[in-house]
Amino acid sequence: MKRNILLTAGVLALGLFSAEAAVAQSSNTSTGSVTVNGFVALRCSFTSENVVLNIGEMAIQSGSSSTLGAYDHTKLDGLSTQLDGLCNGAGSTMTVQAFPMLNTAFTSAPPSGFDNRVDYTATATENSVSATATSTSATPGAPVTVGDFSNAITVNFSNSATPGGGKMVAGPYTGSVNVTLTPST
Amino acid sequence: MRHSLSIAALTLSLAFAATQAVASVSPVTTTQSVTVNGSVAEVCVLGSPNPPSIDLGQMAATSGERVGKLGTISDHSVNLPDAFCNYPGTQISVAATALVEQDESTTPSGFSKAVNFTANVSGWTSSAASVTTAAAADGSNATSHSAGAEENAPQTANLTLTLTNFTAPGDGVLVAGSYNGLVTITLGPDGGN
Repeated sequence: MKRNILLTAGVLALGLFSAEAAVAQSSNTSTGSVTVNGFVALRCSFTSENVVLNIGEMAIQSGSSSTLGAYDHTKLDGLSTQLDGLCNGAGSTMTVQAFPMLNTAFTSAPPSGFDNRVDYTATATENSVSATATSTSATPGAPVTVGDFSNAITVNFSNSATPGGGKMVAGPYTGSVNVTLTPST
Repeated sequence: MRHSLSIAALTLSLAFAATQAVASVSPVTTTQSVTVNGSVAEVCVLGSPNPPSIDLGQMAATSGERVGKLGTISDHSVNLPDAFCNYPGTQISVAATALVEQDESTTPSGFSKAVNFTANVSGWTSSAASVTTAAAADGSNATSHSAGAEENAPQTANLTLTLTNFTAPGDGVLVAGSYNGLVTITLGPDGGN
């Protein structure tokens, strides 16, 4: 009981002191402000991993002698995959660069009647906006504006063919498509 | 008053720091890749032989000094179009079986039931693959093999099989009957042997 009385007295004393101080300040008002600034950097990023597609045997396995052993374009044409990405600037752009599928075991010039390279067109589409590139060109395709977005980018392959329409040199083949997002306001 | 001034100074300081941070961060460009892997298996193909068979007809001379013995048989050719291998290190091998009479079980002395020949396959390398059969008069040991040189690059070619140099073992009188021979051409690694 004695402790309760003492605590009550302490609370009253503090209250009285605060009220007194407030009354004293009201006679000479002074306002200070604290501004808090932050920023969000322009950024594009992918939220999915790199993709590896395996299309298996690429040569025609049966049929007439003229096409037997030649490249089977149905293996790559129509193939598609997705990359998940985002950009936070309204002027952000997307570009595509396509690298041909090359025979990694037979790298010298193919003999007459043979090919060791497959070229194709790669198209990356985000919200109906598409960027394309062909692997016959060593430079990326033209950038397209994708703005700010956060969803899947579909990468599609088409128009695949060998340079000479010849028979395929045996061996492993690999190629790749680079999709680049560049942020901008 | 002093209290107000210090707060204003702090405000300026925070604003300056934020401005500095914005200026030092450049836009982040990012690239991701889609890798496509495929393969082409090693394969060799021989086109269908044209003609697929050869009929030598009557092989024995029917008159003159060599009557009953092997007559003159002209050379014969067979085309094998559209052959190819899509990898290096291949060769042609040839297995030739002499023409052997199939019905007679014995071969009397002075007779022969076999006709040997040379099979030559050209077109794969600069040197042809060639083999000559060496069947005995009784038709034994009828099959011989040979392999050509190695081709060190993928190649397409039209091959030609030529049959020449028909002879009978010991130049014996040919036993009457039906004779059959065979030539097998293989294209592949190490001639398929």
